[in-house]
Amino acid sequence: MTKRIRSKIARGSAELAILALLADQPLYGFEISKQIEEKTGGALCFTLASLYPMLYDLEKRGWIAGRWEANQAGRDRRYYCLTPAGKKELAPLRREWNVFFHALDCLAGVSNA
Amino acid sequence: MPDRFTNDWTNLVREHLHPLRLPASQQQEVIAELAAHLEDLYDQQIQHGLSESEARERVINEVIQWRPLAQDIQRSKFKEGTMNQGRMNARTKQLWLPGLVSLLAAMLSLTAVLLLGVQPHIYYAHQAATTFNFQWLAALPLCGAVAAWLSRRAGGGLLTCLASSLFPVMAFLACFCIIFLGATILGSERALGPSAFVLFMWNWVFLPGTPLLLGALPFLFRRNQSPQVTS
Repeated sequence: MTKRIRSKIARGSAELAILALLADQPLYGFEISKQIEEKTGGALCFTLASLYPMLYDLEKRGWIAGRWEANQAGRDRRYYCLTPAGKKELAPLRREWNVFFHALDCLAGVSNA
Repeated sequence: MPDRFTNDWTNLVREHLHPLRLPASQQQEVIAELAAHLEDLYDQQIQHGLSESEARERVINEVIQWRPLAQDIQRSKFKEGTMNQGRMNARTKQLWLPGLVSLLAAMLSLTAVLLLGVQPHIYYAHQAATTFNFQWLAALPLCGAVAAWLSRRAGGGLLTCLASSLFPVMAFLACFCIIFLGATILGSERALGPSAFVLFMWNWVFLPGTPLLLGALPFLFRRNQSPQVTS
């Protein structure tokens, strides 16, 4: 049960991280994993195996959309951007996580740890 | 679609990402995208000062288990009704086909046992009789295992896998419900009272369901690849 909860938390937080990143600008898979790792100081790491199934799942849900474009190096990459449905989803998702962290903070003093 | 990237990585992904049952265009797109990711990772390792062989090794180690990845991608990509025409959709491959195989195997094994002249053991308890056909029950774990394996192989989730392996008992239950309903409507409910229902549930649902489930157990749980959270 604990493992399942941990897995769900990891998945939920990863979805939020991807959606929040794509809200700023369209990115392709490698850039997404790199930026998440950099911005979280290595706390959240995506491997190829964990990133792409999630991207495809978000795409299937209609929250993100992918299209092939050349990157700065002239190589074709599949850029993902947030769809209107994804933008609509992001705000309540952020609120939910805010409430979750606040609750954890009240309970366990997470922010002082 | 991409027009250029290292063919090496494309071939590597194509060779390892198996089985990926998606329409050809989607499959190519996934392979191209993953190959592009590996190419970027390789370039990054080179920039970090690794030798070509070290960088290549690092990239190859990026994915340890390709089969679960292929299954996860298939599950994530799949949309009902978007598979190639003439090909079975995922629900058919993950649930109906394994379930029917399990049902067929269970019925064939029961027929074989009866044709061999093996008589069921009959036990009486509290004015009710119940039967055990040990030979048939002994064959059922194999039926459950085959169904679970077929379902898992097609990328089925835990519940789909479970449902396909328990398909025979669900079919028995559905048949009984139809008979029970028919008997009730026709006014012969005395013959199918609560005791008949309990006996039926014991003989045709619980007893065969247990070995079916036991056979399916090794296939029910599979490692999920979720993002790594490190502290």
